[in-house]
Amino acid sequence: MTNHRLTTCPPRQKRPFFIRRGPMENIATVLISAGFLMLFQPFLLVLYTYSLAALLAGTVMFIIVSKFPE
Amino acid sequence: MSSVNAAHSVVEPTPTSKRIAGAIVILYALVTMIPLAWIFLTSIKSPPDSISYPPKIVFSPTLEGYCNLFTTRTRQTPDYIQSLPPPTGTCDEITRSRNMVIAGPSNYWPRFGNSLVIAFGSTFLAVLLGTFAAYGFSRFRVPLADDLLFFILSTRMMPPIAVAIPIYLMYRQFGLSDTALGMILLYTAVNVSLAVWLLKGFIDEIPREYEEAAMIDGYTRLQAFWKVVLPQATTGIAATAIFCLIFAWNEYAFAVLLTSGSAQTAPSFIPTIIGEGGQDWPAVAAGTTIFLMPILVFTIILRKQLLRGITFGAVRK
Amino acid sequence: MTDAPSTIAERSAEVLVRSTPTVIARRVRGLSDRAIAWLFITPTIALLLAINIFPLIWAVYLSFTNFRANRPNAEITGVGLRNYQRVLNDPDIWIAMQTTAHFVFWTILLQTVIGFSLAYLIDRKFRGHAFWTTVILIPMMLSPAVVGNFWRFLYQPQIGLFNYIVSYFSGIPPSSFEMLGSVSLAPWAIIIVDTWMWTPYVMLICLAGLRSIPDYIYEAAEVDRASAWRQFWSITVPMALPFIMLAVLFRGIENFKMFDMVMLLTGGGPGSTTEVASITLKREAFESWLTGRSSAFAIILFVAVFGLANIYVKALNKVKQR
Repeated sequence: MTNHRLTTCPPRQKRPFFIRRGPMENIATVLISAGFLMLFQPFLLVLYTYSLAALLAGTVMFIIVSKFPE
Repeated sequence: MSSVNAAHSVVEPTPTSKRIAGAIVILYALVTMIPLAWIFLTSIKSPPDSISYPPKIVFSPTLEGYCNLFTTRTRQTPDYIQSLPPPTGTCDEITRSRNMVIAGPSNYWPRFGNSLVIAFGSTFLAVLLGTFAAYGFSRFRVPLADDLLFFILSTRMMPPIAVAIPIYLMYRQFGLSDTALGMILLYTAVNVSLAVWLLKGFIDEIPREYEEAAMIDGYTRLQAFWKVVLPQATTGIAATAIFCLIFAWNEYAFAVLLTSGSAQTAPSFIPTIIGEGGQDWPAVAAGTTIFLMPILVFTIILRKQLLRGITFGAVRK
Repeated sequence: MTDAPSTIAERSAEVLVRSTPTVIARRVRGLSDRAIAWLFITPTIALLLAINIFPLIWAVYLSFTNFRANRPNAEITGVGLRNYQRVLNDPDIWIAMQTTAHFVFWTILLQTVIGFSLAYLIDRKFRGHAFWTTVILIPMMLSPAVVGNFWRFLYQPQIGLFNYIVSYFSGIPPSSFEMLGSVSLAPWAIIIVDTWMWTPYVMLICLAGLRSIPDYIYEAAEVDRASAWRQFWSITVPMALPFIMLAVLFRGIENFKMFDMVMLLTGGGPGSTTEVASITLKREAFESWLTGRSSAFAIILFVAVFGLANIYVKALNKVKQR
């Protein structure tokens, strides 16, 4: 149990896209929103069926990527 | 009103635009007040007046609604009423004029009392726990602080019905269903999240230097917390307490699912008030008026802190 | 608490155990900072674990079984993912979701438009604006259940004030329409009450957004001779947008869970035209007593709200930085 806080590191140049926080968080946000639209849309039952999967994936992803440094 | 001076003349609205804006806002305010005014007016109407068409604005006020709210009555023959000793109070008189006699007190005050006990009990606990936790998060490096804070916040966002299913089973298991203690614990858990977030904001604003100075003077951390931080945070604690109180006072979903008898609160009781042949609207209005009064007072006290309260302390004006 | 396999739970318990000897050792001379930190935070976490997380885990467990709360002694058998499959393929629940969406969409649209307009007008700072702002704020502090219950009286076809006012201005006879009893009007009856109640909320947050815009930006625009229309769309709206988003997200989460008002105004009726997700859930759980299935449904709603809450906190932090 160290006293280090999991916050931003000093900026390092050229971190690969998929382990940077900002863009990945946006992807997760889009996934959650998509899940919501699927839950709410009146057109296709199949989309409703898979809305939980999208929401769950988005939420889990959000929690994970929010640990990534900027 | 500091922005109103010559330096800002460019962005200062013209008098005409101010007047138009004022007129629209005041009109909106008056329209939104109509339902509330109607609740009050209905509470001092007699039952026939309350359901007359067109709705009556001019009528002779009566306390019948309040009498009906506080009592249960039984219908009697005029002869029987004649034979009774003279009425002892206003309510007695009104009831007898409707060919009824008062049979006993209604459940309104006990339910109101439940609301008071549960609201104040849960507020006290939530603010107590919340103050400590907020101080902990504000002053110390807590591992995973952000996750813990989010976890605390997310508990408030859960849909009440979804939470109520397992709580219902759990309370049944532990004998907490329909008890004031069960409701106090539940509301404390919901309110503590708001309390932590709000109070953390208030404590963050108290400079650390105050405590550090006190500790240099030989106070321990706990003494510094007690003698320096708490007095500084009084306003914040009071505002937080009122927010918790309002939530617990207003809550309906948990109350209606988890209480039915002895621990029922006023919000789940008021809709069940019925008279002879349908809802007794003056009595409902009377119950509603009494129930809403404290909140009106609180809203006026809190008006400067409202924004902070509804955004979990994020927006501080 | 041992059957709560939450990482946070385990960690906080672990730390508490570790710090206990320190607590005793330092009792006389005052506690160490870390001991105080955990001493202060643990009660809150413990309460939330007991009242929120433990029941939640129980609900997750129940959602994989055929348990029924009205038959507590019947044998509980696991059914795997079948409850979730049923809920996610049930056309009735799908329709309840669409009803919810309908409410969420219209209440948010109306509340944002009216709330933002009001905030914009109040920001003109006319005389007495502080007083009238307080008056406008009153409805949102009241109990949705108690006030919603009274709106049922205002909506009475013959005697209700609402019908009377509508007929006064439009000439339609007041007994010719039933706000709560007709299939086409009942959803709007609820939307009107919700908008009446929560527009002040959106207004208050929008007002904070408008007041956070520094004057010098408008002054600069004035120097550049930007028209008022242009200033509104290229300064006012974008600068207030994070605040509007915050209000929209929070109202979205709240109205997704909408229960009190619907329960008291229509109870989901007429038919099931106003049956929102929470009402369906209440029926499944507390009237049909399909506890396992309704737990699965509850978890689905919970995941949805949890996802939105993540976005909400992100929006909250964005506003905080201002």
